[in-house]
Amino acid sequence: MSDLKSIVREKLRDGADAFLCLKNEEGTVLPALITDADSPDLELVEVGDSRYPLGKILIDLLREYPDKRFAVLVRGCDERALVELSKLEQVDLERLVLVGVACSAEEAAACGCLRPYPSDIALGEKVEAAPGREVIDEVESLSDAERMAWWREQFSRCIKCYGCRNICPMCFCKDCALEEPHLVEPGVIPPDFPSFHIIRALDMTGRCIDCGLCEEACPAGIPLRSLYRKMQDIMEDKLEYRAGESAEERSPLSFLGSEQDIEKLEE
Amino acid sequence: MTNSIAELEDAKVILIVGSNTTEQHPIIGERILAAARKGAKLIVIDPRAIHLSGFAEVFLRPRPGSEVAYLNGLINVIISEGLEDSEFIAARTEGFEELKQAVAEYTPQKVEEISGIPAEDLVAAARIYAGSERASIVYCMGITQHSTGTDNVLSLANLAMLTGNVGKPGTGVNPLRGQNNVQGACDVGGLPNVYTGYQRVDSEEVAKKFEAAWGVEGLSRQPGLTLTEMMDKAARGELKALFIMGENPMVSDPDLGHVREALDKLEFLAVADIMENETLELSHVVLPAASFAEKDGTITNTERRVQRIRKAVEPVGDSRPDWEIVCALARKMGASGFDFTSPEEVFEEIRKVTPSYAGITYKRLGTQGLQWPVPDEDHPGTPILHAESFPIGKGKFTPCEFREPAEMPDAEYPLLLTTGRLLFHYHTGTMTRRSPSLVREIDRAFVEVNPADAAELGIGDGEAVKVSSRRGSVEVNAKVTDKVGKGVIFMPFHFAEAAANVLTNSALDPVSKIPEFKVCSARIET
Amino acid sequence: MAENGSEMNYRLVPSTCVYCGTGCGVLLEVTGDRLSGTLPQKDHPVSKGALCIKGWSVHEFVYSERRLTKPMVRSGEVLVETDWEAALAAVADGLSAARDKHGPDSVGFFASARCTNEENYLLQKLARAVVGTNNVDHCARL
Repeated sequence: MSDLKSIVREKLRDGADAFLCLKNEEGTVLPALITDADSPDLELVEVGDSRYPLGKILIDLLREYPDKRFAVLVRGCDERALVELSKLEQVDLERLVLVGVACSAEEAAACGCLRPYPSDIALGEKVEAAPGREVIDEVESLSDAERMAWWREQFSRCIKCYGCRNICPMCFCKDCALEEPHLVEPGVIPPDFPSFHIIRALDMTGRCIDCGLCEEACPAGIPLRSLYRKMQDIMEDKLEYRAGESAEERSPLSFLGSEQDIEKLEE
Repeated sequence: MTNSIAELEDAKVILIVGSNTTEQHPIIGERILAAARKGAKLIVIDPRAIHLSGFAEVFLRPRPGSEVAYLNGLINVIISEGLEDSEFIAARTEGFEELKQAVAEYTPQKVEEISGIPAEDLVAAARIYAGSERASIVYCMGITQHSTGTDNVLSLANLAMLTGNVGKPGTGVNPLRGQNNVQGACDVGGLPNVYTGYQRVDSEEVAKKFEAAWGVEGLSRQPGLTLTEMMDKAARGELKALFIMGENPMVSDPDLGHVREALDKLEFLAVADIMENETLELSHVVLPAASFAEKDGTITNTERRVQRIRKAVEPVGDSRPDWEIVCALARKMGASGFDFTSPEEVFEEIRKVTPSYAGITYKRLGTQGLQWPVPDEDHPGTPILHAESFPIGKGKFTPCEFREPAEMPDAEYPLLLTTGRLLFHYHTGTMTRRSPSLVREIDRAFVEVNPADAAELGIGDGEAVKVSSRRGSVEVNAKVTDKVGKGVIFMPFHFAEAAANVLTNSALDPVSKIPEFKVCSARIET
Repeated sequence: MAENGSEMNYRLVPSTCVYCGTGCGVLLEVTGDRLSGTLPQKDHPVSKGALCIKGWSVHEFVYSERRLTKPMVRSGEVLVETDWEAALAAVADGLSAARDKHGPDSVGFFASARCTNEENYLLQKLARAVVGTNNVDHCARL
């Protein structure tokens, strides 16, 4: 996309110290940090169709370079991730300039999130999409016992790669409950059912922004996204909250308050 | 592999034998499960219950070492039920009558006596394998690491040819290579009997070709020694000096007591490695090597896909890439022909002398790689081997007779020990045991014991035990589990402090010279 | 955290996982001048954007305390750090001495299924063309 190149150049000129976007290197599209308007990488920038957890990369970049400001290319899901991460005090939106790209009709249909576009669209045309409900409908047609068996079968393929957690833009804890030996027995595959996957599903509640990267990264083809999506539907239904939608409203599940509040409590 | 990893999803039947795919090749294991979700039937043959056996249509659990017997048994059933592919046999193979005669005595009943596989399960597996249009065989070290390893592989080839499961998508006889570049190390001449591309050292024509290419004279026409033979010669004082690049024989080789004795006898031992390891203490010179993230190069995966690794960061400390080390050493020894300034230059030389790599360039490899043979720069690569014909013309059936392993359980050592890898670790643990995410999962050896044996021996789950063989003993904790059958125990070999290879037998397959890691006799004491 | 005003650097370098023979596509993450993580290569023909736990953590051993960082030569019971010049000279002497005294076939080389094609090629060339022996093998059988 030729516009992207000029946008990157413009943002770098207008005060961003670096632009986190995607580039096409030898046919493979991957994240790139462009720090210089004369960078040869500028010729390679491309939106592409491979998605990476840019929000997660930004958490690290903001920490590593605390005096820098970043522009970042965001799809709808990336924007939702950054909004929610800001409420969770993992990114500082003040230091970010979001450049929105709308997913194409084809991408939106294939991916199927609720909002395949960011709030401000600099590139592409906004299209609406209908989230896929096949898996949820299938599971909901089953009895409780059958549902348990259905999920047990799905999770029996899990080889504990932790890919769902590792790629997830919303997973940032230094100490992860999945690694607690008293919660999940280490060194065993498939991991304990249902504890491993229940822990993750609960952590995703009120937090998952439905990017679907977990399911893309799952070597076992487990329908993780449908599980987390169902959790978000319940959240919206019961507590009227959907992660990543509004920058002001905090998750009703963040009842523990901020990290600072917890530290105060501990004192 | 004769075929490609992605094709496994097109198979109607996948026979997994001697491969704990989920733990050794996790992404391929998941590809097999994806095939099962699309309707493929899985047949798993393994002495242990493995992750994949839980998804199998038929799971056969033979005693380790009975491979030829049960493979002949499958062939016997297929022929006696008329399930063979007569058209393929007539057009593409020879020696069918000899095979038919040889397997006649391997009836399901006889196979049950030898292997412990119930006769009706063997028949069921044979019918499933032979009854599909596209059946793929996936195997690994559970087939090869036996004193009958060559016969085991030939028997698998017999089975595939008998049913015409060769040269088509979703079929084939597919060994999974255990190390990231075992395929490539073989391809580029890291073997005692061949130069690159499997060109024989004892061929006058080949030797002359390499003499001309390298500008030298008098290349040896005498095939060299295999690794295990070198160890034996060293122990006898006949091999005097050894240069080891990126290996840790003090954990990976069978019968470690013998390895120590052999390395100790050398007049000179030099090691180039990335990590401190158990072999260094016997070395005279240690050269620090750069890791994969600190250098460029190519490696070749199990489906013959040549792929690039790229330098991401500078080497730690004073370490240097092995390619630089070998070049510097050769120049130090006064040699010419080692003035390369990059791995790409070396690759250009490889492709000049290697027909199967001739059409590969770094630029063409990009981020997707290419599957050899790639004879010229316009060739797209070869996902499936032997599509039209076998390299030797017709495929030859090679009848094999069952032989017992070199060492069998007896009164003194009544159990049968078999070894393998775990999902969370890799080979001698040099890398994985320095990786926090992996160590967190598991970081100690164990021995799996069947509950019946445990009860007989009075061993509780988690109890510390001593496992001994004729070659030594190690102390580990017992894991009481019905994953292993009665009379069989299993140990992972990653852990130097309780090294399974202290116990294993170095008896070799007479042709491939592979050691019999998968079977030896042992006993357990509390 | 980087020093104030220091050059920003974040790169993803396409590479191949170096554990088993599957050959999954990885992207090595570099922040500053250090490896900081691994991501799956989304469009890789074999791994298609997935990895196992070993692949996800393939960068972790690179900065292990146990990495060898200096050439060493034996002096009695201990290995003593030295420079490359001296270490390479010692290896050249050790191999040449055996070859000259006992013949080329008294020398052996272990190539490696853990090293690159280029490195294995060079090692067998060294064994065959320089030392004059075909005693070169690797751990394919182990």
